[in-house]
Amino acid sequence: MTTRSGLFVALFVAVVVAASVTGASHAALAGQAAPVRTIEITASRFEFWPSEISIAEGEAVEFRITSEDTVHGFRIVGNGLNLVVPKRGKGVAVARFTGTQAGRYSFECNRMCGAGHNFMRGVLVVRAPGAAQ
Amino acid sequence: MVKYRLFAVPILIAAAFLGGVTTPAQAQEQAQDNANSGLPSTGPLSGYMDFHFNKADGEDGILDFHRFVLLFNHSFSPRLRFVGELELEHALVEGLEEAGELELEQAYIDFLLSRRLNLRAGMLLMPVGIINERHEPPVYNGVERPFVDTVIIPSTWFDVGAGVHGDLGAGFRYRAYVVAPLNSLEFTADEGIRGGVQKGSKANVRNVAYTGRLEYLGIRGLTLGASGWTGDSSFETPRLDTSVTLGEVDARFRRDRLELRGQFADVRIGDAARLNDSLGRIIGISPNIAAGLRGFYGEAAYRVWNKGAPRDMVAFVRYENFDTQHRMPEGFQPLKEFDRDAWVMGVTYYPDPDIAVKADYISLRNRSGLFANRHLLNLGLGWWF
Repeated sequence: MTTRSGLFVALFVAVVVAASVTGASHAALAGQAAPVRTIEITASRFEFWPSEISIAEGEAVEFRITSEDTVHGFRIVGNGLNLVVPKRGKGVAVARFTGTQAGRYSFECNRMCGAGHNFMRGVLVVRAPGAAQ
Repeated sequence: MVKYRLFAVPILIAAAFLGGVTTPAQAQEQAQDNANSGLPSTGPLSGYMDFHFNKADGEDGILDFHRFVLLFNHSFSPRLRFVGELELEHALVEGLEEAGELELEQAYIDFLLSRRLNLRAGMLLMPVGIINERHEPPVYNGVERPFVDTVIIPSTWFDVGAGVHGDLGAGFRYRAYVVAPLNSLEFTADEGIRGGVQKGSKANVRNVAYTGRLEYLGIRGLTLGASGWTGDSSFETPRLDTSVTLGEVDARFRRDRLELRGQFADVRIGDAARLNDSLGRIIGISPNIAAGLRGFYGEAAYRVWNKGAPRDMVAFVRYENFDTQHRMPEGFQPLKEFDRDAWVMGVTYYPDPDIAVKADYISLRNRSGLFANRHLLNLGLGWWF
């Protein structure tokens, strides 16, 4: 790699990492204020954020899922929860969910959203009482 | 300076508005109705289209229906799924000509076993770079795909194979495939390894190639990726050892209105001197294939209009540097016209989140001193459904 291209790569990576660390802190603070636990999920090609969600057994939560681009789906495999997530700027998919049985559940996009559609998956962990978070 | 054929502008804009504009209230209502009804917005058939106007300095403008792509998906069961992608390029296919192509870019079965380990087999997209697996028109800025994703990474790069993919937790996910190799007899000086892709058409697998990608998505808005591809590409010339190795790293970050992305790719071709000699004996002139190709780009985009479609527009600027003659085998001189860089700047307007109206200007330079730099104006209309 030439000196010029090396400098370019280093500078770009530095800017990206610095900006992302600041963004992560801001997002964490924003989620703490809700009286009933609301779990905000962002869907975009081809990922959910967060892609790992943990709730306690018996805990009722509200999922609010927003798309940053096209229509996505949000389906918890084997549970029956199956939502259409409207396109960016066209609404929020909302659903109440109670983790009635401890375990690990996959969730996935089930509306074809592009070439990487089948990679768009996550995991919901329902913790048994006393289990570590 | 480019002489613009302005007739294309009103056509593109009118088409976009006729198809896409609703008031925000209507849009919200429609979306909620749809969501409440549970009706899918996409069924087993989806796809994307790409319609372009390209005008290079001193040349006639071209209107091209660049891509007409249909995607098919079917679930045999929740764990067994088929995805297919059939693409018609440049609207017309005739025998033995250079007009268009009909390509089967994807056709695979996913065996979804667990979060960490899943199997995939069939016609696969190589998991290399930003664009190859994310090439729907609303997903990237610019009418045409980045040069680096065209001549260094030969997007859309697909071939037959099988492999595994999954999510490792803590924000990491991976793909790893065994695939058909490249055919080094089709390599060129200006487009590198692009012509060597076998595209799953009676692909020779005397040797196989290996490709993989590791991604980190553990920080909101940030995606870091590293990809590789390696394989012996000399099945047509077994006395040579034209192994090809491609390494790539990329990053994407989005926060509020800002989006940044960058990519670096490096390709090494083994035994390039003897490959040139062999090809020279066949075609009568040395093709001057390099021993190394290299390209990188950085792009900054800002959502200048952020009220949701139809008030949604992104402005961007991208710098690309790509050289398909980066390292030459001993005894060969680089053709400097293939050591290029480009500034690309433009806008992407979204009358609907799935429709992208694009305009960009490109200043494309080369280091030869003999070949003129080029200035290009591109307009595009692309959509996903």
